[in-house]
Amino acid sequence: MSTTRPRRGLAAVILLSSLVLAVLGAAALAGCGSDASAGGEASPAASASSAPITVADGTGATVTLQQPAVRIVSLAPANTEIAYAIGAGDKMVAGTSYDDYPEEARSLPKTGDFANPNVEKIASFNPDLVLAAGGIQDKLRSKLEQLGMKVYVVDPKTYDGVMTDITNLGQLTGSTEQAEKVADTMQMVKDEVQAQVASASRPVTFLEIYSKPLMTAGSGTFIDDMITLAGGANLGATAGSGFPTFSTEVLFKNDPDVYIADSGSMGKPGDISKRAGFAELTAVKDGHVYVIEDSILARPGPRLAEGLQELVKMIHPEAAAAQ
Amino acid sequence: MTRLARTSIWPGIALAGGVFALCLLVSLAFGPASLSLGEVWHYVTTGPVQGDLPNAIFWQIRLPRVLVACLVGAELAVAGVILQDLFLNPLTDPYVTGVSSGAALGATIGIVLHLSNLPWMTVLALIGGFLTLGVVWMAARRRGRIDIFVLLLAGVTISYLASAVVTVLMIRANQDMYAIVYWLMGSFSGRGWPDVEIALVAVPFMIAPLFFAREMDILLQGEKRALELGVEVERTKRVLLVTAGVLTAIAVSVSGIIGFVGLVVPHIVRLLVGPGHRSLLPVSLLLGASMMGIADLLSRTVIAPNEIPVGVVTTFVGAPLFVYLLRRGRKG
Repeated sequence: MSTTRPRRGLAAVILLSSLVLAVLGAAALAGCGSDASAGGEASPAASASSAPITVADGTGATVTLQQPAVRIVSLAPANTEIAYAIGAGDKMVAGTSYDDYPEEARSLPKTGDFANPNVEKIASFNPDLVLAAGGIQDKLRSKLEQLGMKVYVVDPKTYDGVMTDITNLGQLTGSTEQAEKVADTMQMVKDEVQAQVASASRPVTFLEIYSKPLMTAGSGTFIDDMITLAGGANLGATAGSGFPTFSTEVLFKNDPDVYIADSGSMGKPGDISKRAGFAELTAVKDGHVYVIEDSILARPGPRLAEGLQELVKMIHPEAAAAQ
Repeated sequence: MTRLARTSIWPGIALAGGVFALCLLVSLAFGPASLSLGEVWHYVTTGPVQGDLPNAIFWQIRLPRVLVACLVGAELAVAGVILQDLFLNPLTDPYVTGVSSGAALGATIGIVLHLSNLPWMTVLALIGGFLTLGVVWMAARRRGRIDIFVLLLAGVTISYLASAVVTVLMIRANQDMYAIVYWLMGSFSGRGWPDVEIALVAVPFMIAPLFFAREMDILLQGEKRALELGVEVERTKRVLLVTAGVLTAIAVSVSGIIGFVGLVVPHIVRLLVGPGHRSLLPVSLLLGASMMGIADLLSRTVIAPNEIPVGVVTTFVGAPLFVYLLRRGRKG
């Protein structure tokens, strides 16, 4: 990457900015793409083991396998989690350096880290299905496909999009039933949460992705979708799409009711009062500051259901307690 | 220098002071939270009040941020003047000594170790900056004198080395990667009073070079000539290098790495008031502060509630201004 010597100021900044955009798409999100509702149409004959399996991934691209995958390489921790959750863990031949859930995923051979997957290394595992992420890995797809690999990009924009990806991967790995079960559980949690907050007010909620500079989850992200599902009004959605920087002054002006920080940005809720002026925020005064574990909020896998339940407890403690 | 030069420095300094005062007022008056001028005046006169949110916006968010921006701008501009004139190299900026890269490495270690929300990151950046200065210094010292060219080369080399380590750490630190990238880009977002206090430590180091204005003027003619004219060359170089190093380390430790100000402000000021250091140093200090204040104002207001990285703004504001002054300078 670029050096820290800003003699070439503008070029360096542009380079860094594009890197940041890419990284945001990746590190915070583990992927973002286009609309997920497009995906998920399995061919009618998918159940017959001899017929080809065809699904559309989050980017709208069609992925066709002649038979269910048996050698899977995952390029994102979320993808690894999905594979294990749907019972395709035994077909995983490689993961990333950041895979930490479930426990056995840690011992998988590695293809490199999330931002720098190594194409040669991926090819060396001779996979019949590569599960990539969007954003930073966009360019990787064509490279891998040129080498004859099948690539499915997990790039959901909504909570439902994650369920779609899970059922699609069920098709591709021949674990349809288990995948349906996982998706059903996610749906059940969603319905439950929807019922809890149906008649409740919508507290203004701010979600901190990073503090210096202050960054939040904007519109068109599954995090925004989850805040909405959990009955909050996402303040970050007013700042645009993706993961935008957010003015501290505007945060104060809007004075959110609930302040939630990603665990990657804040250690414990008490830390917030150490920041100048933050003690004046309503959320801080009322004790509505929370820290949510990054992997259940920002990793688009089956554990988003846990993330959603956590969010409801934070945004609507009264509704969650009444349950 | 001559009596003429001695008497004519004050109008320039006074004018720069006026520009700075204006920039400071504008920076404080405007912000994304759109407090009206009347409100701002009200908060200024009432002072910080507990339990009043708009008051906190002014006293806890906007004011410290503006002060940090101005201090960092002044520090970088003064360091830029010193280093350009010591190295006799117009392309020099405060970052060539390797101090900034060392500071960046320190801060990156802080981020990777998750010390980022504590003053630790600033402390680590300062330690990194000073360690680098020490290493570069040792490399450049020969028989009691500092070889400026070795220092420049050692600084650039250490710079690349530290950047390489930062890159390695960045690749290894998945979740923290964007934090590191943002730190390297530089920003005043989220800076508060503790950062002002750190930046204020640099004030004596901004003033110290003024006492060496005469020596710096003579050094422009080369070290040999300066020795002949009775300047204590080595002592002057030592003091100035340490001063520039401290200024850079402090600036970088609170703001990250913000380009262009330290490179271009000294040049702009030379075109305006000439190379004499009795006016060059104070005017650079004031205009560096003004430019950074305005750049940060634009960074936080233009696309609010989003922010533009301040380094982008300094370049967009500074580059056209510099080219204009260069052309005007040629004609005159």
